[in-house]
Amino acid sequence: MCEDCTCGEEIQKNSIYLPEVAELVSKKKMTDVDSFFEFDLKGHSLGHLPGQFAEISIPGIGEAPISISSPPSDDNKFEMVIRNIGSVTNAIHSLNVGDKIGIRGPFGTSFPMNNLRGKNLLFVTGGIGLVPARSAILYALQNRADYKDITILFGCKEPGQRLFTDEIEEWKNRNDITFLETVDTCNGNKWDGNIGVITTLLPKLENVDPLETYAIVVGPPIMYKYVIMGLHDMDFSDKKIIVSLERRMKCGVGKCGHCQMDNIYVCQDGAVFYYDDIKHLKEAL
Amino acid sequence: MEILKISESDFLSFLDKKIDEKNEKVIGVVKKGSHFVFNELESSDKLALDYDVTMLPPKKYFQPPKELLLKYKPGDSESYQAVNNCDPMAIVGIHYYDLAAIYMMDRAFSEGERDEHYMKKRENSILVGLYPTKYFKYRFAKSVVRDQAYKVADLMMVKMNGEYIVEVVSEKGKEFIKGGNFIKNNYTLQEIDDAKNKVKDDQKIPISVELVPDYLGKNHAHPVWEVFGEKCFSCGSCVLVCPTCYCFDVRDEVELSLAEGKRIRVWDGCMLEDFAVCADGHNFRKEKGQRFRHRIYRKGKHLPEKYHYFGCVGCGRCQYSCAADIAGPVKVLKYMEDNKQGGQNV
Repeated sequence: MCEDCTCGEEIQKNSIYLPEVAELVSKKKMTDVDSFFEFDLKGHSLGHLPGQFAEISIPGIGEAPISISSPPSDDNKFEMVIRNIGSVTNAIHSLNVGDKIGIRGPFGTSFPMNNLRGKNLLFVTGGIGLVPARSAILYALQNRADYKDITILFGCKEPGQRLFTDEIEEWKNRNDITFLETVDTCNGNKWDGNIGVITTLLPKLENVDPLETYAIVVGPPIMYKYVIMGLHDMDFSDKKIIVSLERRMKCGVGKCGHCQMDNIYVCQDGAVFYYDDIKHLKEAL
Repeated sequence: MEILKISESDFLSFLDKKIDEKNEKVIGVVKKGSHFVFNELESSDKLALDYDVTMLPPKKYFQPPKELLLKYKPGDSESYQAVNNCDPMAIVGIHYYDLAAIYMMDRAFSEGERDEHYMKKRENSILVGLYPTKYFKYRFAKSVVRDQAYKVADLMMVKMNGEYIVEVVSEKGKEFIKGGNFIKNNYTLQEIDDAKNKVKDDQKIPISVELVPDYLGKNHAHPVWEVFGEKCFSCGSCVLVCPTCYCFDVRDEVELSLAEGKRIRVWDGCMLEDFAVCADGHNFRKEKGQRFRHRIYRKGKHLPEKYHYFGCVGCGRCQYSCAADIAGPVKVLKYMEDNKQGGQNV
């Protein structure tokens, strides 16, 4: 282990960069570039909370930060939806069921599901922002009685980029939640639904009580400013807006500096924030 | 604190003995061309403690430019092994500002998630400090460093009349000097203090160090960021030579035989263009001025707010190495003072 000294066992035990092993137990293509992956940690549960992420390792390729899209669970399985966008994610996409990966985490803050009990939830999700939001959505649906009205808004660029389409069908058909979706453009595809950016869904909502509702906003960087403006128009206070911010996470342990936003390490202090806590930060949105 | 002294020649003999004993690597300052560097000593002959500044700070021994973190067999996720090379070492002749920087690094790597790869190297090291004996025209350490050096040094040396006064700061330091001809000091504290302050800094930051975080906070929109950022080549020299820059990238490397893979940590820097680029291509600090401001904010605002010590130790290396002649905090703050913005500056 340790090459020239005697601390080998110690570093193997204490290194914050050493991944654990998880096995791919199922995978499913979702779009041209996104696939669903279910992993099993074998010995124990990941112990994550909704909205956290983990670092996935492919030995010889590298490590990449990936949002966890399943709700907390006592079993050893967890789910991710991964966009094939770089060398690590490309390697993950070519894994077969039974193959193993390295994993570190979970990292970061989570959606404050306990604090939201007894309130209405308004999820505003854009593109792959639905992936981390889904961990909170499914948690809320599993504990449906703990929350009042649940509304889910989902927008993506075009119909071909829709994620979790089977679940979306279920959500549409449930009568205890409201689900609305839109696409920026139908891009020649058959599409009978809403067309327009995510903010065009906000005026369609009826009877949203901004004093009793928390908005959970997750999407690409460009989306936040406009959604927050829309929520302000609906009289949401900044204390009732929760965001999960994208940054370049690298180490996951608040050291490497890549995710820094003003004085905050997003990998540790975020990615989930109350908007009120970060709105003064110049680099936030 | 015990204060001893040793003649220069006895000190060199002491180091030769330490080198021969091989209990630890002995590292010191040596001349390289017209510059100075920290390097492992084979004998005390090459030691050059009368130096202005070293090209790189001693940080390289605790966070090497390229550091092995894990070994594995490519394709085998069950083969990851954590690796650390933390051979004992003694580093001799570290100026007090570089010690202040090590203090900052220690806090960054020990607080929150403890980084054993760094901390083990530090635990196995002995730091022998030295007050500068030579002037360096870009140094402004006196205006930014307080008492940090004594929080990490094991020994502090002051050169006086061909002798070294040796302050024994830690038990580890006391143990290290056993067997050397260190004798009772006969200088007064005043004389020692005068010797510590003999080499003056020409440069100083134009406002009190305690006020800088707030000052920067009020000047987020100051034109300095754009004006200086415009001149920046984004070469990263300033962060490369900085003793308090510890940002890094983590990469995988595979041997050509494909038999062994390594996960390595390499130096990275926020002044490089792609430092904050996400997987989808979005760059959170796209403009040079944003990156320039972030670097100065990190040293002058973010780190001081977190650690209660200024994040720059005034070594002057960044200003010295900057091709565009813009990197030094003194230069930046002076420009801001000379170009006050409608009462924005404090």
